[in-house]
Order: sequence, then structure tokens, then C-alpha cells
Amino acid sequence: MATPFTHMLQSLARQRGVIAALVISERDGIVIDSYVQVGHSADRVAALAAKLFRKARLSAGAAGLGAVSFMQLEAQSGRICAAGAGDQVIVILAESGINVGLVRGELLRSAAEIGALDGQGFR
Amino acid sequence: MTMPDDVRLLTEELARDPNSLAFVTLGEALRRQGQLDMALKVTLRGLARHPYLPDAHDLGARICVDRGEIERAFEEWDMVLTLAPGHLGALKGLGFVCFHRERFADAERYLSAAAAADPQDEQVERALRHVRTARADGWTEPLAHALPASLMDDSRYLFVNVLNEEGQTALLLDRDGLVLAGAYVGADGKDVAQEVGAELSGVTEAARRTTRHLSMGDWTSIVFETEVAVVAMAPSQHDGLLVLATSRATPLGLVRRLLDKCSDRAGRWLEERV
Repeated sequence: MATPFTHMLQSLARQRGVIAALVISERDGIVIDSYVQVGHSADRVAALAAKLFRKARLSAGAAGLGAVSFMQLEAQSGRICAAGAGDQVIVILAESGINVGLVRGELLRSAAEIGALDGQGFR
Repeated sequence: MTMPDDVRLLTEELARDPNSLAFVTLGEALRRQGQLDMALKVTLRGLARHPYLPDAHDLGARICVDRGEIERAFEEWDMVLTLAPGHLGALKGLGFVCFHRERFADAERYLSAAAAADPQDEQVERALRHVRTARADGWTEPLAHALPASLMDDSRYLFVNVLNEEGQTALLLDRDGLVLAGAYVGADGKDVAQEVGAELSGVTEAARRTTRHLSMGDWTSIVFETEVAVVAMAPSQHDGLLVLATSRATPLGLVRRLLDKCSDRAGRWLEERV
């Protein structure tokens, strides 16, 4: 079933190296919509990414840096990128070699769209 | 170094005679002991009674530098030169501040005047050479050597030769989130390194857990963009953490390069000490 987020996730998933793309609730790490390659658990990615983004948001707020709009975690064999839109976070899990610039732009655009959907009552 | 007994004697002298100039010696003693808030309080009280005393403004400027309040230090030293043109401490201090801001022409002007005031001062001579090199090359690597002697070994200035623009700052934290080196100057000019470091270091545990559960290997960097800054973090030696903050205007690619440079600098610094 298509959701308001389906086209965003499909667009992100088309980027080379993207393994999973999800819209999640930051508060409880629950998956709202997702595209995940076979062999990966959407629930696990969502829970971990939500916790990481929440921690970054709270830490930045406590440090007086304001709201977090984009976050990237780089590891030896992969990356997680996330953009926040209110309580919702759009996340990708990807291989190391992705084009971060493209993905970042796509994530921020999607986050803005989610924010707009929020304003129209799509929650 | 002045001992606590001297602080007590000077305090008593000031209590007996609030107009005494002993406040300058007392403020300096407190500064050297690291009691910066108290040193500033004593100095400001003294300045209220002796507003035209150059050495008191010079002391105020050095306390401000120790507190990470570079802008305020500049204003104090500027006042010193108004009251006492040719004041050596103010010329050296202003030279340092201008170099820090990459205002090399101004830095050269102040340091040249300092060298003329005291031709035997090797530190000024060395700083002047570095400023002239920087002006010629547009390169700031030797900045650390141009710092005043009192700041050369100050770990808060560890990254000044890597970070060249306003709004860029870096911190090196130990495994407990305590500051080892660097500074974080807030919008009000105060060094809030410890508070910021403590808050941000909490992100790393979440990062470790995430990469472990998703079989991504060790985390190598975290970058997040906020309303007012871009923050980048990388693991450091001995389970430490390097935190870099730049203005939102800094391109992400440059943030990453700066993070690498700061990591190198921190690594070398730690190796020299461990």
C-alpha cells in the first residue's frame, strides 16, 4: 500500500549504495514506512537510528547548538544518514561509498516534504 | 609563583586600604592560581577606583584571554594603548589577537612596535618572523610559535594553528568526557568547553551501539548540522573524543578536512605527553 512517504523512500533507495530507507518516529523508534533490502531488519535499523538521532538532538540542544537538521554517522563499513522533521526522522543505511552530497540533499528535501505533510495532518 | 599566604596578605592590605594598588598584584596572583573569576572580580573592583591604570587593564586583558574571551581582551589592551602608548604587554597581546584573527598586517604593526620597545625580547622577534612569513605565504601553520609565552603551553590553544576562521573551535575530550585540550567559546565569549564536551560525548555511546548492532565496524566520524553550527566528532586515542564545531557557513567537505587536521594535531600532542 502506498503511503505519503513511498515516493520519497523509492527516490532515496534508487541512490547507489543505499541499503535501507525509512521514515521513523524519533520518540519510540517505530517504523512509519520503509524500503529495506532483503537480509536487513527495518525494526532494528529504526530503533538504533532513532536513538542515535534523539541523542544527537538532545546533546546539541543541551550544548546550546539548536535543533539538528541532518546527521551522518560514518563507520568502517557503512553509513547512516538522517534528517529530522518534527518527531519524524527520515533515515538511510548505506554502504561506505555512497555519494553523501546527493543523499544529504535528497534527505533534506524529503524532511521538508514530511514537515509539509505534517502541516496538512498526514501523521 | 605567589603563594596563598601572599594572597591572604594582599587581600588584607586591600581590606585595610581599598584604594591600594595591591589589587593588581593580587589579581595576578589569583590568575596564576587559576582562580579566574575571583581574579577578574578583584581587577574590576580595582579598575572602578583606578580606571586609568594601564597595568590593571593589561591584567584584565590577560585574565580575559585565560577565560577564552578574546574579544574583550582586545578591548582591554586597546584601552591600555590609549592610556600608555608603547605598553609592551598590550602590544604583544594585540599582536597575538590580530594574528589569531589572521589580521596579519595589524599583527605585524603591533609586534614591530613591541620589538622596537624591547629589542632584546626574543619571543617578540620570533613571533614577528612568523607573522611576516604568514603574510608572505598566506599560511598560518607556525601560529603556535607566535603565541605569547604564557599561552604557548596552554592546551586550550592546541588547535589555533589548524582553525583559522571565526566560529571554528575544537575540543579534545578524554574517555570520561573531560576536556584535555581546546576551547569552546560561546556566543557571550565565555569558554564553555566542559559543558559542551560533556553533552556531546554522550552521542558516542549511541554511535558505538548502533555500529555494533548493525555490523558496520567501528565508527569513524559523526557529523551533525544544527541551527547554528556544524559539529563533527571523531574517536581519539585512549577512547578519547575529538569535537569540532564550525559555523553553518562552513562547507561539509571542509569540515571533514578540518576534522582530519585536528585529529592529526591531537594525536601528535597526545603522543608527546603519554
